[in-house]
Amino acid sequence: MSAIIEVSNLSFRYPGAEVDTLRNVNLTIERGDFVAIVGGNGSGKTTLCKTFNGLVPHYWSGDFAGSVHVDGVDTFTSSVAALSAKVGYVYQDFQNQLVRPTVRDEISFGPINFGHPDHVARTAEVITSLGLEDLAGRFTWQLSGGQAHTTALAAVLALRPEILVVDEPVAELDPARAHDIYQRLRWLNEELGLTIITIEHHAEFIAQYANSVVLMSYGAPVWHLPVDEAVNRTDELARHGIPAPQVIQVGRGAGLGQVPRDIPSAVSALQAAGVTARDLPRPPVSRPATDVVATARGVRHSYRSVGGNLHTALDGIDLDLHAGDRVALVGGNGSGKTTLLKLLSGILVAREGDVTVDGINTRTKSPGKLAGTTSYIYQHPQQMLLKDSVRSDVALFPSGRRMDGWQELVEQVIERVNLSEFAERDGRTLSGGQQRRATLAIGLAMRPRVLLLDEPTSSLDVASREGVTAMLADLSDAISCAVVATHDMHLVADWANRVIVLEQGRVAADVEPRELFAQPELLARVRLVPPQVAELGLALGLEQPPLNVVELLECLQVRERVSC
Amino acid sequence: MLRKQRDVLSVEWIKLELIRTAYATRGGMFSRRDPRAVLVWYLIMAFVPWFTHNVTVLAVLFVIAAIGVFLARVGPLVLGLFIIGIGFEIFYLILVSLMFGGNLGTLAALGVVNLKLGIISMASMAAFVSLDPEKLSDALLAFKMPELFAFGVSYGYRMLPIMVEEFNTVFDGFRLRMAPPEKRGFLGWRTVVHWAKMAILSFYPIFLNTAKNVRTTVEALETRGFTYATVDGRGRSIRLGQMRMGTVDWLLLVVTVALVVGAFAAGQAWPLYR
Amino acid sequence: MTNDYQRAGSLRTSGSGAPELRTPQKLMVFVLSMALFGLANIILEIIPDVTIGPVDISVAYFVFVPLAMVALFSPFWAALGAPLGEIVFVDLLMGDFSGLSEVEGYLQMFLALYIAGSLIRNPRSRTQIWLGAILVVVIDKFLSAIVDLAKVWLALEDPEYVEGLPESILFLEGIGFGVDIVMSGILFGAIPAMWLIPALHGKIEPLLGMRPRVPGEPIPGQAPRTGWFVAVAVLLSIAAAFFAFIEAWDLNVGEWEPDFLDQFGMNFLWVSVGAIVVVLGLAYLAYRAGRKRDGESQARLQAEADEAVALAERERREESIHS
Repeated sequence: MSAIIEVSNLSFRYPGAEVDTLRNVNLTIERGDFVAIVGGNGSGKTTLCKTFNGLVPHYWSGDFAGSVHVDGVDTFTSSVAALSAKVGYVYQDFQNQLVRPTVRDEISFGPINFGHPDHVARTAEVITSLGLEDLAGRFTWQLSGGQAHTTALAAVLALRPEILVVDEPVAELDPARAHDIYQRLRWLNEELGLTIITIEHHAEFIAQYANSVVLMSYGAPVWHLPVDEAVNRTDELARHGIPAPQVIQVGRGAGLGQVPRDIPSAVSALQAAGVTARDLPRPPVSRPATDVVATARGVRHSYRSVGGNLHTALDGIDLDLHAGDRVALVGGNGSGKTTLLKLLSGILVAREGDVTVDGINTRTKSPGKLAGTTSYIYQHPQQMLLKDSVRSDVALFPSGRRMDGWQELVEQVIERVNLSEFAERDGRTLSGGQQRRATLAIGLAMRPRVLLLDEPTSSLDVASREGVTAMLADLSDAISCAVVATHDMHLVADWANRVIVLEQGRVAADVEPRELFAQPELLARVRLVPPQVAELGLALGLEQPPLNVVELLECLQVRERVSC
Repeated sequence: MLRKQRDVLSVEWIKLELIRTAYATRGGMFSRRDPRAVLVWYLIMAFVPWFTHNVTVLAVLFVIAAIGVFLARVGPLVLGLFIIGIGFEIFYLILVSLMFGGNLGTLAALGVVNLKLGIISMASMAAFVSLDPEKLSDALLAFKMPELFAFGVSYGYRMLPIMVEEFNTVFDGFRLRMAPPEKRGFLGWRTVVHWAKMAILSFYPIFLNTAKNVRTTVEALETRGFTYATVDGRGRSIRLGQMRMGTVDWLLLVVTVALVVGAFAAGQAWPLYR
Repeated sequence: MTNDYQRAGSLRTSGSGAPELRTPQKLMVFVLSMALFGLANIILEIIPDVTIGPVDISVAYFVFVPLAMVALFSPFWAALGAPLGEIVFVDLLMGDFSGLSEVEGYLQMFLALYIAGSLIRNPRSRTQIWLGAILVVVIDKFLSAIVDLAKVWLALEDPEYVEGLPESILFLEGIGFGVDIVMSGILFGAIPAMWLIPALHGKIEPLLGMRPRVPGEPIPGQAPRTGWFVAVAVLLSIAAAFFAFIEAWDLNVGEWEPDFLDQFGMNFLWVSVGAIVVVLGLAYLAYRAGRKRDGESQARLQAEADEAVALAERERREESIHS
């Protein structure tokens, strides 16, 4: 293997910034490798990747020291256009990467701009190899998240790069689709020999797909190791905000040395070490289920599409939500989760059927009047950060309605989400996790009975994700019922006491988290990926899947216990 | 009054209508033509009315433009805004001339001007509503417009649904969280001020969010050779090479010219002024 | 706050120093300006206009949107993008493209924004923002008002003109101009801009990878204050007026006097077209000439700029010490 990217003593500072974002980076990436770059938010991962295709320093003017050689070419003396033929880049917000109206046009855009006479062949080749034949004529805004990501990927591949950089593919996609994307990347890596570089927070994906791992911290790589070795450095990864995959944690807890990365080999390794599992009595979670706070009766809703036909989103929903319920609303993309939340918040009213919240039929009051009873928190925090400081955003509702003692309420809420020191900052300048907590504070300051959250943990690194989950768990005294639409099964396992599974606009199951994870066929049907511990527990022969590492370890009988 | 889900005259409907208009999803005769032919057709229809004051000619041209609108399958939003615009204009004219002691002659004179403007508006509706951004930007390139302008057109179209959606979300956020005025005031002026205030306040987050999106877009453009293509001419010639003027395209232009000539002939035969 | 603009040394490139725009940055400013002003216009398009009596109390445009762009970024590229946004989002998309008068509108709006943006030296100065907002409307609307008034004048030449019309046009034009200044220039211009521009200053620039404007520092792509620019600007406005005249010509001459038109109408049109060509040609020549002489003044400007930056930075340092 030869080196395709060589970085030496690279430092970079953005214009107007006060510290260097990259500090003396030295890194070599081999041709044909599948590299995962990991590190906490703000560790310089994305900036590093932008030096590979020359965006830094040709596009981002700033202080640039050291050198980056890509396939033998010094990026500093080359240009973005020339480097694009070698390095393809798929962004985290890939929707904004699509610049042309139709999929086919998007793909041929690059080859035509560079004046490649074989642009037709290139476009056709990429369309076939990524299976985009059916989508080629579609408009790019009609695409679902997964399709849009594939289109962005195809557009980049049409320039036939040797290196492909993919920034956090999992952030905006549901887990099943994220696995599809990763399988495609693996295929590109193995079949076409492309060098793949992904930025990734999720240890499970790293363990499953990458060949080597670069850990970044404070603008420099800490190490670059083969994946087996990397994922077993659990403590170090955890310190940088990337807890090891649960399989590894369990293996460690059970006293194994080097733990295999996938579930089948972990099972055999555990069995080889003489570990057996037995079920412990797990009482069902207690839900009072007496005081009804919200109901939906015969709710049907549909959207009109551009073509003029009705597209059904919800198809006959009957639900009662009780005080004390912590509901996780799960299901694949397009199963109607967001629509149900918007109906419960009164932002939308259903075409058929009625929704009542706290005894009020949502048809009888305007969304503004309902906002104090039931509030909805959007998936993208930037859509809720309307003012120029966190404090004024939180205060917008209570101060406008002149709620009694709103000043104290605002301070209290900001304190509660641990944002006191950032209260004067613009929410947009905060990290992803802080932004989520700010939106949570906005919701709490409205003093609702029902709090509705859309994907509160998506695109967060694991540490921030756990922060948000803990905060949700802590809210039970402030609100009587919370509903969270999510793909994050860790959140479901750690927080929810009730899971409602939606499938094509209908309730497919209304169960406890443990019951959900005991039904692999249901999970597969609705494109959900259970936490690794649940899968591992079932694979070890448990009847009741464990919800977290501690629960699984309790079930394991080992000769000598090692605390994890 | 109970709230209901509405399919027409709602924000959602406007969004869909804009998309349908922008992407010419309704089909129609012009959307299948070579974009250059459509633009030339538009130019003919937009310029000819200025060369005459003969009402007969204008009336015939008006009919041609109306046929164009019909063939182009213009959607209800655009057509509605056009008719409302014309309606207001006529109402306004009557009012003005009555207030300042005008007579029917004034009205007729102004009516002719409106006839002309109507022809041009309809021609532009028929032509531009039928061109999806791709075709339009290719045609503009073919007519030697700057690359930046052609790109601006196709990018603007692409961003439009996203930006309207974003604005809608942010505006809804203000509606949910900002307290409405307690009293409506005379003619509801407090409500009007409240809405205007929300619309203005919405621009703060919109500026920042759009700036963030634009950054990604322009970076992506850069990596895919947009600037390169403006310097290197090969991309442009490939794009232009993809357009073909077919028989029907030529036919469209010939028939239009014939009809226009016919209109002027009719004007000669039965002249009518004012 | 520490200060690190002095940083230099064995680096291969440096982002600090004279604020010079790179092509992609120009593109970003252009695209952002286009998208935002386009959005503002489409919102206005959907909102019905309020008509009180014969006077149209409507908002012509959200001036604060493009004003924020020209005040915070390169005025040239922002001013170039904004009117295009209006054409693309509203006129082309909604099929409301009216041909020549669009060219007129584009030139007027570009000039108005470019000049106003170059005037705002300090994005945090309320006075300058007020001036800028009103200036945009004045420059833009003044040109069209002149055209409209000329119509009346031409109509007065003709003894058989229609009763009552010139007075009404004069009256309405005057009121319209006043209404535009109040509605577009102040209510939807200066007042929102006074809040929006300082709120965005220092926040939006880093998102595009640019350094915020420092008060007093020369602005990349600002209108040069030299004779040639004034000449180009004047010539462009005349050209814009001629575009309007081609349309207006028909209204004031043609409609009221068909005989006159039959004799001179066509020539009239060609004279206008010829005038546009000549005037645009002169503007281009003046621009070229100005560019050549630009080099000398550049050095002087640079020296001034360095001084201003140093001054501003000193102020900033002192500010942070005090606070």
